[in-house]
Amino acid sequence: MIEFQNVTKKYGDSVALDGVSFQIQGGSFVFLVGSTGSGKTTIFRLIIRDQDPSEGRILISDWDLLKLPKGKIPHLRRRIGVIFQDLKLLMDRTVLENVMLPLEFTGMKTEDSMQKAKAALADVGLTEKEDKFPLQLSGGERQRVAIARTLVFDPEVILADEPTGNLDLQTSLQILDLLQSINKRGTTIFMATHNEEIIRKSNARVIFMEKGKVIEDKKPKGHKGKGKEEKE
Amino acid sequence: MHLNTVGRYIRRSPYQAIAATLIMALTFFTISVFLVISYLSVKIINYYGTKPQVIIILKDTATAQDIDSLKNQLALTGKTSSIKYISKQDAVGVFKKLNGENDPILNEIVSSDALPDILNVQASQPQYTNDLVAVAQRSPSVDQVEFFKDVIDKFIKFVNAVKIIGIFVISVLMAVAVFIILTIIGIKITIRRDEIETMRLIGATNSFIRMPFLLEGAFYGLVGAFIGWVVTYGILLYFQNSLSSFFNGIPLFPLGQMVMLVLLAGELAAAIILGIFASFLAVLRYLK
Repeated sequence: MIEFQNVTKKYGDSVALDGVSFQIQGGSFVFLVGSTGSGKTTIFRLIIRDQDPSEGRILISDWDLLKLPKGKIPHLRRRIGVIFQDLKLLMDRTVLENVMLPLEFTGMKTEDSMQKAKAALADVGLTEKEDKFPLQLSGGERQRVAIARTLVFDPEVILADEPTGNLDLQTSLQILDLLQSINKRGTTIFMATHNEEIIRKSNARVIFMEKGKVIEDKKPKGHKGKGKEEKE
Repeated sequence: MHLNTVGRYIRRSPYQAIAATLIMALTFFTISVFLVISYLSVKIINYYGTKPQVIIILKDTATAQDIDSLKNQLALTGKTSSIKYISKQDAVGVFKKLNGENDPILNEIVSSDALPDILNVQASQPQYTNDLVAVAQRSPSVDQVEFFKDVIDKFIKFVNAVKIIGIFVISVLMAVAVFIILTIIGIKITIRRDEIETMRLIGATNSFIRMPFLLEGAFYGLVGAFIGWVVTYGILLYFQNSLSSFFNGIPLFPLGQMVMLVLLAGELAAAIILGIFASFLAVLRYLK
């Protein structure tokens, strides 16, 4: 579960987030939509404690992020898988090595981490590409590698920052299908996107942002849970 | 796993690795040389310290009676184990015997006129040397008294000067080595900034990120120190016979494998610490 309680983030005089509040239940699939500079990436960075809010409170499951000791931040980041806008794959490592990378942090034996990484690659349909380097892959395939890397820890939440940003529609839909299949296993997916087509094809909740504020929180059709819709 | 990462980092920039290793090798070669010199100096000092020998150079005007009188005075102290008179003629014979065929011209030049009569006195205990010197110096027949304490004192002054210079040179080299490794590791951290950022964002701890850089510094120290030691040992083995001839009679060589192994162990430990220290400074400076 992710909960933002009146979160504000300022960089000097510039306000990146202004009193943002929302709650995402475990197992949800939520889109975060807004133009460049609306605060989407800031929200993601706050969730992984890459930055701290200027005001407000952020709760991730049983953790109050501001009270989290610095030594626990790596553990938080292992519970939350992140698909970065620029993917952040290591170009001098193979696909398999990229997916194994997070497991190295835990000191897991190479054989075990290799097994888990191969399982994650199988999940995303890239088993035959495990010995390739990222530059040898297509954009969609690289995106799958980034997704596989998030899966190795069986995360509770996956944050996907514009995962279809540089992809054609067909590939974007494939990525969406993959994320939805992961969501069906119980992983919360929180995905930032501009792509109206994939939003339309998916009956998911959409949080709209503009200039650092949540302007609309659109629940999926047939949703009966409590929640709020804010409109400016 | 960290070792694999270190190997990758080193293979990626081999020239930087060579530079770091060479500066470490030079530093520890210098350290090895000065430590060996110090060790040999102590051996020389100890050797002469156990040789309680006083050489009394007699005046040309000293008669046989004067010489016998002096010998009696020395014997009466009860602090001698032997007193040997060496005449000029005997001295020439000894000189020519020592030089042998090495320098026939010098052998021609040296005659009994060039050498004095001497009394070679062995003290029964090293601490009696000064007493015997005092007795000899009181005699009017004595021109000069030489004893190894003078030689040792001069030698100690020389060795101390060498040690001071050595400490200065080694300090400078170690500082240079630290700065070079700090710079090299700093460059690597800067080049890998994106990779480090990625690792941090996906759950790597600070110690996980830092460890390969610290191990890399240790690697440069380890390999550099080993190379420095090998070169020193090689030079010693190569010049061992020449040095033995030069220090004729003093049991300096062979140096002993245990001595060299202890030297190696100490240097490896120091080099690893130095390498890690330099890398740690780089990590503090460039990895925030």
